[in-house]
Order: sequence, then C-alpha cells, then structure tokens
Amino acid sequence: MITPFQVACKNLLRKKVRTLLTLVGIMLSTWVLVSLFGFNRGYEKALNRDIENMGYQLMVMAKGCPYEAATMMLQGGTGLRYMEQSMVNDIMEEAEVDKITPILMQAFFDPNKGESGGIAGYFGVDPDSYPAMKPFFRFRSGGWFRDNSAAEVVMGYEAAELEQREVGDMTLVPEKNVQLKVVGILERTGTQDDGTIFVPLKTLQRIAEIDKITTIGIKVKKDADITKLENKLYQLKDVQVVSFSQVKQTIMKLISTARVMVLSIAIVAILIAMAGVVNTVLMSVLERMPEIGILKTMGAMPGDIFRLVWTETLILCGIGGVAGIGFALLFARGTDLLVRRILPYAPSGGLVVIDGGLALLTLGSIVAAGLLSGLYPAWKAGRVRPLESIRRDG
Amino acid sequence: MRSVMMKIACLALLLACTSPLPALAAVGCDLNDPARDVPRLFPESTSYKTVYFSIAQRGGAPFQRKIENRLGNAYIALYAPIDVPYTLYEIYRDKKKVGYIHGVNQKGQFGGIQVFVAQDLTGRIKTFYIQKITGKSAGRFRDAAFARKFVGLSIRDFDSYDPVSGKGTGRIAEIANPAPDMVTDYYGVLRGLKKNLVLMDEFVFSMERGKP
Repeated sequence: MITPFQVACKNLLRKKVRTLLTLVGIMLSTWVLVSLFGFNRGYEKALNRDIENMGYQLMVMAKGCPYEAATMMLQGGTGLRYMEQSMVNDIMEEAEVDKITPILMQAFFDPNKGESGGIAGYFGVDPDSYPAMKPFFRFRSGGWFRDNSAAEVVMGYEAAELEQREVGDMTLVPEKNVQLKVVGILERTGTQDDGTIFVPLKTLQRIAEIDKITTIGIKVKKDADITKLENKLYQLKDVQVVSFSQVKQTIMKLISTARVMVLSIAIVAILIAMAGVVNTVLMSVLERMPEIGILKTMGAMPGDIFRLVWTETLILCGIGGVAGIGFALLFARGTDLLVRRILPYAPSGGLVVIDGGLALLTLGSIVAAGLLSGLYPAWKAGRVRPLESIRRDG
Repeated sequence: MRSVMMKIACLALLLACTSPLPALAAVGCDLNDPARDVPRLFPESTSYKTVYFSIAQRGGAPFQRKIENRLGNAYIALYAPIDVPYTLYEIYRDKKKVGYIHGVNQKGQFGGIQVFVAQDLTGRIKTFYIQKITGKSAGRFRDAAFARKFVGLSIRDFDSYDPVSGKGTGRIAEIANPAPDMVTDYYGVLRGLKKNLVLMDEFVFSMERGKP
C-alpha cells in the first residue's frame, strides 16, 4: 500500500526543476544560517582562547604604546616608549596581583631582508617570571635560557622554521651583530608566539643599550577585582593600562556590526526561501485541485489532505536543510578563510565552529519555518470542495 | 535528477580539495611582495599566476627519495616535510607564458637563506635573487655583480659540481665566494640554488618534456 510520504514524494517529483530550485533556496539559506551560528560561537571561543594564551589579563605600557607595532614597523624601534623597571616592584605590591613579568620589545633593521630591508623583532623576557605566564608552552626541542643575561634565544616554531634554526645553532642580531645561541624551539601554539624570538631580558637590554622596559604583563589573582586594580594602575605616572577584557569587548562590539549585517542577510534569505516554499506547494496544490477533489470523494478528510500537503513541505525543508548543513560543514574551512579576509581582526584557530547540536538547531529552525510556510497551501488544499474542483477541471 | 545531484556533489568535492591549505601548514618560500618583485625579476612580464605544489601531491615518499638522490643529501632542508607547499610563479607576457620564478629556503650560518631564480621556459636562469640572508657580509651575496654570475646557468651546470662537498668543475666551481667570512652561507646559497633547480626540473620541466 502506498503511504502518504510516498505520495508526497511523487508529487514533488512531478515538477523536478521547480522542486530543485526550491531546494536550492532552502539549502542556501540554511548554509548561511548555520555558518552564521557557527561563526557566533567560534569567533568568541577563538578570541577567548587567544586572550587566555596571552597568559596575563592586564598589560601596562608607556603612554602611546598602542601604536607601538606601527612605530616598530616604520621607525625600526627608534620611536618606542619605555618605562622604568622599578615599576614592576610597585605594581607587585598591589593585593590583586598574582604574577607579574617585565617585557622589552625591540626591533632592529635588517638590510638583507627583502628588497629594501626589513625589521627583525625581539621579545626580551625574564626567564624567572615569564614561563609561569605561559604554562601551555611546550618545547619541540631544548628549553628556556640558563639565566637572565645568557647570550641565548628561544624561538617560536614559525620563527625557527623561517630562520631554519635548530637547538645549538647561532643567530645574529642585525644592526648590532651580536651572536646568540638557540637553546629552545617551541611547539606550535597557533598564536603570535609562533613567530616570536625570545631573548633574556637583560641580554636584550644590553644589546639595545637600554635599562628600561616597554611592557609589564600582569596576571590577576582568581576572584580579584580587575577593575579596581585597573583604576589603581591608572594612577601611575605616564602609563596606560590595556585590559584584555576591554580589548575583547571592543573587538566583540566591532564584530557585532558585521554579525547583525550577516544575520539580516540570513533572515532575508530565509524569508525568500519561505516564499519559495509557499509558491512551490501552492502551485502544486492548485495544479492538483481535481485530484484532491477525487481524493475527497473517495473519503479523504480535510485533515488527511492537510497532512499530505504538509508532508511535501516537510520533505522539501528536511532535504534542503540537511543539504545546507552538509555544504556548510564541507566549506567551513573556506568560510573561515573568507571571514578572516573580511574582518579587521581574526583570532587564531577555527572561526566557524559547527557541531551536532548547532546543526540540529538550524535544521529544526528551517523545518519549523518551512512548516509555517506550508500552513496556507495545506489549509487551502484541505478546504477544496470535491464537486467544484472536479467540475472546474471538466 | 540523480545525475544533477552527482554533478553538484563532484563540484563540492573538487572545491573542497582545491581550497587553500590550513593555517598551520609548513612555511613555504614566497616573494615578500609579488606585485613589485615579479616585474623586477622578470621585466618583460605583464602578469603572473601563483601555483602551489608539494612532494606529497606529486608522488609522496618515493618522489622525495628521488629528489634527495639528485641533491646528494638525505635531507632537502630543515623544516621541509613532504607536504610543504612550494610556491611557483608562472610568468606571462600578455597571454603567453614566458617563464617561472621559484624560491627555496636553505639553512645558513645565522639564519635562513631564501634563494629565488627566474627561469625561461627552457630552464635557464634569467635572474638570481637572494631575498633573505643573515650575516655581517650578507650584502655581498645580494650584490648585482654576484647575481649576474648565475645568469644563463641551468641544472646541467651542476652535473660536475657537488654543492654539498663544494668540489667539482664547471661554471659553478668558477663562481668565487664574495664573502670569505661567510663560507657556510656561500655553500648554503649554492645548495639552495641546486635544490631550486632540481625541484623546478622535477615539478615543471620534466612534466613539460613529457607532454606530447
């Protein structure tokens, strides 16, 4: 015996092109919707991971330092602003501070990099306090420096790859022509640390002929009031405080504009898909009026006809939804790359994270929207008067 | 209906396979600024196309052994796994292909050396360029006079010269080290050049020779 599901399938296959185009519409809107949901979840997760990987929640810098990166690029480090190292002890006295580490960023001009020279950046860190900030660091080979004034470097994985260095090899600081021995190479972290060259703080201060620092990284005690500490730090002279929770909020605000735009596009896409479903099913109902009339004369109740037409809608939305989710999963990497190109800041790791729960949620939303669209055609089919429809055909 | 769905599935798979490599792939050797560097290295060019290839794609472990045998070294380079993406710039004058630019990484005494060559369609070197090298006298290797010594060379010029031991005869052996305090880098440059030419011969010219 033929089931209502089989009847619905056969009805949809009568007009293959129309059914296919409707399916494509549903599939595209599902694709956009699930990718957007995946981006919502993935971006925040990746951003949190990046911030956690920084190892510290607060950074204290000399005023003007947010422009440091640009300064380093443009002026080869000559425009850097510095702080007294004694400030580390002052900040350490604050009750909220758990750990603290001084950092010196330096850039040297390398005339033999690229066509017209380039910048080689170094990160001077204290071997006693910095490793505790980055407990997730794993060494591919070697380890940290022997002491704070050793002529040694630790390289991030990509920095070592670019410089073709192994533990035991030598490196040369351009401009200063100081030789340093590679004592450690880190595993990949997927963060900016991969491209960093770490030098003991005192060694870098000696090379750069400076006894100051550029940055202080602060890890706050668990349950401590970060805002209170920030306010205290703002009282220090000529410094500014960068809180990663603020950075996160700012980035999320920037991204929210893009999210609203994409969500609007997704809503429009869903509305278009819903209109497509209404059109397809309604056309199908109007074309089959005499058949529906005959079904009714044979004893079919309005509810039976309603369910039959609604089943068609369910099939359309189910197949379109599953296909859309499949495409979203298949092209998640491509979507990720596209999003990275568009966004002003993209954290490392996957930006579009689609899991089973999200896929089911999207499928549920699409099917629900589809069934809503199928209400009118199904209702109209259920109300067909048998004799009238058969007579109309004749 | 079935054939349409099959076509869609095939297209989807093709796009998935050809989409760019993940962010954690090994570092290849690219020109820092191709839009500026390509016209400088290949003055008659009007456009270029970037192509990526890897040993894994073209034959895997047996192919890697073949290349290593030609290089006379068990290791092609540090940090060069079988899936490292090599970047090839195909150079065009209007719509006609006129040559290639390709670079490789090589280990130097104080840092990586990036050796690029621009070749015509027969494999002869038109321009030789060291994009990156580290050392007190590194500038001498980037000097135009040193680069000119490599113009016109091809893979055949390495037949009688072993850049691993630095011994042999021929045009390569006649090229003097411009920076005597950087001997390691001098041999590194020559090793990088041979690696570059061997890779180009295996990946590009041998395939073109095989075409009917």
